[in-house]
Amino acid sequence: ANTLRLYLTCIRNTLEAAMCLQNFPCQEVERHNKPEVELKTSSELLLNPVLICRNEAEKCLVETSINSIRISLKVKQADELENILAKKFLRFLSMRAEAFQVLRRKPVQGYDISFLITNYHCEDMHKHKLIDFIVQFMEDIDKEISELKLSVNTRGRLVATEFLKQFI
Amino acid sequence: GKSLTACSEPSSLAPQPGSVGDRGRRPSPLCEPPPRSNQKTQHCLALLVAGEMSSAAYLDTDENLEALISRIEQKSRKIETLLKQSKPVEALKTALEGSPLKTRDERCKSANWIVVHRAMMAIRDIDGMFNSLDTEYYDILMKYLYRGLSTGDRPTCDQCLKIHEKLTERAGLGCILRSLADTVNTVFVVDKSIVAYLQLVWLVAS
Repeated sequence: ANTLRLYLTCIRNTLEAAMCLQNFPCQEVERHNKPEVELKTSSELLLNPVLICRNEAEKCLVETSINSIRISLKVKQADELENILAKKFLRFLSMRAEAFQVLRRKPVQGYDISFLITNYHCEDMHKHKLIDFIVQFMEDIDKEISELKLSVNTRGRLVATEFLKQFI
Repeated sequence: GKSLTACSEPSSLAPQPGSVGDRGRRPSPLCEPPPRSNQKTQHCLALLVAGEMSSAAYLDTDENLEALISRIEQKSRKIETLLKQSKPVEALKTALEGSPLKTRDERCKSANWIVVHRAMMAIRDIDGMFNSLDTEYYDILMKYLYRGLSTGDRPTCDQCLKIHEKLTERAGLGCILRSLADTVNTVFVVDKSIVAYLQLVWLVAS
């Protein structure tokens, strides 16, 4: 629990420092405004990406640029069942990315879910609330997956009990 | 005029101590000291001054890299001695001084990281460490903390997370932002494929 608190504190502090975004029109194409962290065409607009690992299984990649920040998360998956549940649940969320606004439709390769926050999001929403959302999401995702695993095991046990009763 | 590239008698270009060019400035302990003076190094310096060799290329010449590696090896021996004398904070200061930040050679950076990692893992009292660590070490320590956090090794990450929390309380968010924004003085080799590199490190570690 202490490691989780330190991990989330580290991510919160990093995001507070990194989320200094401003409007920056595209340098290559006029009248275009693109999140530079996705394109990576101009190295002077990008900051150093930072990888924060809690352990071998959980990590968070924070990539920042002048007008956007991308946060990619890899959640803990202890066994095959948690792997499947996490994949399905996070895919469910990613497909509804428009409702979340800051969610990316496809996670970055090697990660389970990605957020893309642009300067427009920072203008419309409070920065500290965005960071609270990300950190709260990380706390809740573990609980959700544990609950899903519990309910799958419970359902499986009930179904197996009922099925095998006919052979008694 | 005589071309410097054809110069067969390299002149001493660095101001000697006590000469007119030397303004009595003492270098900071965190800066890389200049390499040992020899003929080849003098020739490279001449090319650098003439503008025919970039500073980045100069830093990555074999002579400079060999000098850096031998200095890191000397540091490693000194750190082992300090740790045996139960002086972990002094060991960490020694490890952070003279870090090869400007060079692009991964060997030097990895060698220095190993030395810093050894000193960092020996720290038990983190509050006590910050009471005796000077503020000029905060920025370089923050860069090495992020390198430690990227390894994925559980004990290293635990230690780095503990130190990161205390360092942020002491140094503030500016220290984090400087480590993110400084793409010149790095403890990683930063290039366009840095994310792919980090992922490869992750795959090898796991």
